[in-house]
Amino acid sequence: MHKRHVWLAVGLAMVLVMACALTGCGGGTNGNNASASTSLKDTITFAQGADPRGLDPAYIDDNESAKVIVNMYEGLLKYAADSAKVEPSLATSWDISSDGLTYTFHLRKGVKFQDGTDFDAAAVKFNIERQLPPKVTADMPYASFVWGTVKSVDAPDSNTVVIHLTQKNSAFLANCAMSMGAPMVSPTACQKDNNNMNNDPVGTGPYKFVSWQKGNSIILVRNDNYWGTKAKTKNLVFKVIPDNSARLLALTNGDVDMIDGIDATAVQSIKSAGDVLHTTKGMNISYMAFNTTSPIFKNAAARKGIAQAINRDELVKNLYQGYATPASTILPSFVPGFSKDVQQTGYDVAAAKAAIAAAGIKTVHMITYSNPRPYNPATGAKLATAIQGYLEKVGVSCKIDTYDWTTYKTKVVAGDYDLCFYGWTGDNGDPDNFLNLLATNDWSQNMARWQDPTYIKGIAEALAMPNGPARDAAYGELEKQAAAANVWYPINHTQLLWAASPGVKGVLYHMTGNTFFADSTVEQK
Amino acid sequence: MAKNRKDKIGELMTEAQHNEASAPPETAADPRVETETALTKNVVGDETLAEKPENQWVEMWRSLLANKAATISLFLILFIVLVAIFVPMFMPKTPTTNPVNSKIMLYNPTVTNMSAVRQPPNAKHWFGTDDLGMDIFSRVIAGARVSLSVGVIAVAIALALGVTVGAVAGYIGGWLDTVLMRFMDMMLAVPSILLAITLMAVLGKGIDKAVIAISLVYVPEYARIVRSTILSIKENDYIAAARLTGDSQSRIIFRHVLPNTLSVIIVRATLGISGAILDTAALGFLGMGVQPPQAEWGAMLGWARGYIFQCPWMLIFPGMAITLSVLAFNLLGDGLRDAFDPKARVK
Repeated sequence: MHKRHVWLAVGLAMVLVMACALTGCGGGTNGNNASASTSLKDTITFAQGADPRGLDPAYIDDNESAKVIVNMYEGLLKYAADSAKVEPSLATSWDISSDGLTYTFHLRKGVKFQDGTDFDAAAVKFNIERQLPPKVTADMPYASFVWGTVKSVDAPDSNTVVIHLTQKNSAFLANCAMSMGAPMVSPTACQKDNNNMNNDPVGTGPYKFVSWQKGNSIILVRNDNYWGTKAKTKNLVFKVIPDNSARLLALTNGDVDMIDGIDATAVQSIKSAGDVLHTTKGMNISYMAFNTTSPIFKNAAARKGIAQAINRDELVKNLYQGYATPASTILPSFVPGFSKDVQQTGYDVAAAKAAIAAAGIKTVHMITYSNPRPYNPATGAKLATAIQGYLEKVGVSCKIDTYDWTTYKTKVVAGDYDLCFYGWTGDNGDPDNFLNLLATNDWSQNMARWQDPTYIKGIAEALAMPNGPARDAAYGELEKQAAAANVWYPINHTQLLWAASPGVKGVLYHMTGNTFFADSTVEQK
Repeated sequence: MAKNRKDKIGELMTEAQHNEASAPPETAADPRVETETALTKNVVGDETLAEKPENQWVEMWRSLLANKAATISLFLILFIVLVAIFVPMFMPKTPTTNPVNSKIMLYNPTVTNMSAVRQPPNAKHWFGTDDLGMDIFSRVIAGARVSLSVGVIAVAIALALGVTVGAVAGYIGGWLDTVLMRFMDMMLAVPSILLAITLMAVLGKGIDKAVIAISLVYVPEYARIVRSTILSIKENDYIAAARLTGDSQSRIIFRHVLPNTLSVIIVRATLGISGAILDTAALGFLGMGVQPPQAEWGAMLGWARGYIFQCPWMLIFPGMAITLSVLAFNLLGDGLRDAFDPKARVK
């Protein structure tokens, strides 16, 4: 009996050893593939966590699609490399009428789509009109966000586009630079594809589409007829590796050149494998919202008391290990309208205790999400638990309910909470995109359920103001109003982490989360 | 070779003993019943009750003590049980992050403290702290209470259901046996953890649901063991005798048949507790059992798995707790099996 056990154990151990040996061999051969030369590779491979939803800019709302799309398509405008300011792209210049209702774009001459179609005013008109009523379809998620204020589009000549708006909208220029909805597709190809280019993309960008093996990889090749500087590396491959540790392993093995979707816990293994960790400032905000309609937090003094109990700097530093910036404002520092003068309620335990005693708060009901989010890689559950520690120190006990993301969104709309955790990743880099969240009466976005007439009026006015210092100052004032009312407790702006092998140069990982590979090169190992 | 033969002879020799020895009081008396009248049966039974069983249990106990691994495991389990019951009573109830006193470093296991995160084991935090500053030593102890109670309760429920199903199926037989056991086979065909996860998906998250899911998953195992044991027992003459004396079906099952399966059930249940602890940890790891920040070993592992290279102590201590307790229950189960089995009994 016992003897048989011993043999069984020995047998199992041998199987284990053999399995290790086999996998070890596999790793060895992979490593040998990279021959020793110092020239540049003709392929750059980037691994991301999910398959794109599609490759037609009109039908996407996810970052995974956008990362691929921005290499194949271009919009009228683009963002500056290091901020959310707009720059010329397919439009070389633009004029705005004095009433702010007419935008005239002067298009770049001699640009052709990858299928040979000319890029001209008619193409722009086609692109905008396919996302406007009556042609717009329900599965174009960003159509109304980007083009919703467009009344009509005129093409007086082949290089001029005149866009009439229904209302003043200073965010319109920023919208034209977005990676969702705004990039221009080839009208010929689009009509041939039945108005859906998700599987057959044709744009004007530096790379063109070759193939897409769903759930596995997308292959792009250099567009040799590109109007600008041609891409430096010939082939661009996007790989899909959903599992975080498998993706990390793919990088450290040398199977891929670059990955993203990393959290602070992976930093050590990246560095010890000799790869390079990069950070990009994130256009996002993670916050805790006070439900201003709950019996407890109707009271502004109670909200302030809770805010005073939390040590934001310590929390952010220790939870994200330095890869996030404590948020003193809702707007990230590079978004227009950011103001250094905004002061959030500071950490003050004594004052917190007094305020909480005065308001008679004993328990609060928190709801949170269980998964990591781009603005909170530590997961909502951990963030809520960390905050709970601070609140218990001032005598408030917390009931935390954690839900998966889909359920969580319905719980937020249902509104049965005192505190909830949420965040926002900016769409277009316009301050309205962030600060409007506190003015809307859409409870899936305005978790604080705050409806302050002054603030709402201020948001509407600021949206109509022309871009410039006056508009920026108006948003600074609105931030101050929100901070004084303590309706949100802004926690942090999370940095975007990505890692690449040391030979990778020239990748632009933009704060919008988009990856531009046109200037990238990879040295052979 | 020679040894094998000897074993075989020993086996044959002890076979007769075995039937008698492993049979608890009443059934031990049963062979005689055949020759006694119904009237004297009780008297004879009571007499044997007075002395035979004691020998039986004492012998098993001695055999268990002679098995070092099982003895150590038994004391380890006793230690874990005592710690799980009594130590949490001394943990600070109030939301404080200070230890109880300067000697015993016990903290409230669910209170986070962002000013003391990811500390390696030290004098203040014996097992270190996790990424939210919770004391791992206190959490491992609090987790013992969860794991042990889930293990015992889940096995108790599974045992009650499984034994009933197995006994009915085995004793009554026929189409009822076919229906019940085919259903049990269907449940066994699905990997146990997968079945538990599916049940959790239906029931929802939470430790109470984890107990139900785990116990349901273990039912078929007990049903099968009990049924097969009963199939062999019910052919014995003393069962026929009981039937002849006019005992009711349920009386025969519960008084004559089941006591004979007791040794098998006890062994299986002991091993089952370790399985249940492991499954609790697995469900916790997958985020379906205990909801953080409540302390549970598997949930602690799941919570900390990103930190395996950076802060290994966050995984080592709850991992060790799972390993040690599962190992202890397994070794004790093995020891009990040997003790119950006269052939393997250490003398």
